[in-house]
Amino acid sequence: MAQSTPPARSPARLAAATVLLVIAIAGTLVVPIYARATPKLGAFPFFYWYQLIAVPVIAILAWISYLLLRTRPAPAPDPANGEGASS
Amino acid sequence: MSNVNSVSFTVVLVLFLIVTVVGFAASRWRPAEDLLSLHQWGLGGRGFGSFISWFLLGGDIYTAYTFIAVPALVYATGAAGFYALSYSIMVFPIVFIFAPRLWSVARAHNWITPADFIRGRYGSRGLGLAVAATGILATMPYIALQLIGIESVLIVLGVNSSSSNAFVKDLPLIIAFIILAGYTYLAGLRAPAMIAFIKDTLVYVTIIVAVLYIPTRLGGWDHIFGAASAHMKAINPTTGKPNGSFIEEPAGEWAYATLALGSALALFMYPHVITGLLSTKRRDVIRRNLAALPAYTLVLGIIALFGYMALATPAVNAGVKAHGDNTQLSVPLLFQHLFPSWFAGIGYSAIIIGALVPAAIMSIAAANLFSRNIYKEFIRPNASAAEETHVARLASLVMKAGALVFALELSKTFSINLQLLGGLWILQTFPAILVGLYTRWFHRWALVIGWAAAMIWGTIEAWRTPGGSQKHFGTSSAPILGHVIYIGFAALVLNFAVSVVLTLIFRAIRLPAGNDETEPANYTYDPASEADAPVPAAAATQAP
Repeated sequence: MAQSTPPARSPARLAAATVLLVIAIAGTLVVPIYARATPKLGAFPFFYWYQLIAVPVIAILAWISYLLLRTRPAPAPDPANGEGASS
Repeated sequence: MSNVNSVSFTVVLVLFLIVTVVGFAASRWRPAEDLLSLHQWGLGGRGFGSFISWFLLGGDIYTAYTFIAVPALVYATGAAGFYALSYSIMVFPIVFIFAPRLWSVARAHNWITPADFIRGRYGSRGLGLAVAATGILATMPYIALQLIGIESVLIVLGVNSSSSNAFVKDLPLIIAFIILAGYTYLAGLRAPAMIAFIKDTLVYVTIIVAVLYIPTRLGGWDHIFGAASAHMKAINPTTGKPNGSFIEEPAGEWAYATLALGSALALFMYPHVITGLLSTKRRDVIRRNLAALPAYTLVLGIIALFGYMALATPAVNAGVKAHGDNTQLSVPLLFQHLFPSWFAGIGYSAIIIGALVPAAIMSIAAANLFSRNIYKEFIRPNASAAEETHVARLASLVMKAGALVFALELSKTFSINLQLLGGLWILQTFPAILVGLYTRWFHRWALVIGWAAAMIWGTIEAWRTPGGSQKHFGTSSAPILGHVIYIGFAALVLNFAVSVVLTLIFRAIRLPAGNDETEPANYTYDPASEADAPVPAAAATQAP
């Protein structure tokens, strides 16, 4: 039953996904980066437009991570079956 | 009912009736052969694909209270209220990392609640009980706040201020809640899943129209930000300090960051969010959805800006003052004064229905915890699956009745304090649940004591914190070790410190660590290849 792990991912993919997610979290966690009024975008002070733009940027980073970590449908269906019943 | 706007009221009533019909119809949607098992009623049969899950999780995370409280905070304090945006930006990468492991291990063992996992992982009924009780305790005031969200719309709509009789005054709210209780009882998680679709359509329509239309009525964004900046800089005559800050000040940066991070970590611990995650059909669905969920965050950012739009509208400011400085009314008042009546009705409905969806999911999640981890674990160990489900359905009714009493009887400030405490409390289950997904290093009793220490210290610290006009529970942040930081976050640090030290001691004296039911492979379990097969036999849970 130990065989039911999904197909192995390469360490490089895992590392890349980790870096992307850390950037995504740090981008809004480190407040001094964006606690300022300028440069403005239209009428929006930096503090406001930075956080609004961060949303789609982080969605894209998360989506790339999803693609990197995506588990493909397991080739052999049988190993997974033993799992649930054995607990 | 003399001051009721009949057009707005009719729109709200019609949409509410549609939702009611859909809610009751949900019990016939994809009917299960065995509705009398808890994973059918309480997790929708674990059968939700990407499309439905996206709406369900969105309904979970962005509640009516968010739509009312976030702009109210921005209205009252300025930039500090924007922590909510920063928090929901952080949520997705964080949950993205952990959620699939919890999904897999819960699926492999047919676990339904976070407390199921803790009990199985640490072989500790005590720790399981601590997690279950914390979940129920933190969820109840959260449901009550959904009601307060509905109430603030009803006040602006004029339907609940016309009688001095308390019961008649709150009748609309009580009726709405009885109907909600009815379809949740019958259809379980399927009801909010179907209604979430309507809710989000209304929310998106309202937000898109508001963001395009309201600035044109208020002289553009320049004027909105200008008015906000001027108001925040102005000195408040009663406190002698500025009203707020338009750009977060360096002194507030720690509070801003820890509040955002603490809230993001806490969100995943809430039973209703875990219920939403576990109801998905496949492991992949979770990550795909979490990557797509930030669409809601953009909406939240715009809603936060409603606070400034309200500030730039003199009629709203007058209305807030007339209701005893109730800033929670700022968004409903904004709709009332700037939208035509019929569209204001759409906006009100978005908030009301936006309260019903999370209230239903929360009561189901808390009911699952009670039935599975308290009733079956401690009261009736031999309860059949049908009895367990029956108890959960009844518990969902009790949970809602309790929340209704909370919302109607207790002062509004007290409910909001409780919600603040709820976030602090639920965050203290983080070491057990989240670290437990990766390692069994922590000793079960060290976790119990760390949890208890953090709960007690955090609650006392929150009680001691003055703010605004309150002596206790004034704000969520307090000066700790030289920085003003979120109390819940400081309590989490204490929790970890105690757990680490005691684990080292308990291991040294060889205190029994308890039995671990899980295996490493369980955490990546993915029955994708049998996607349409039924859930691993319910019998699997009986094993321990």
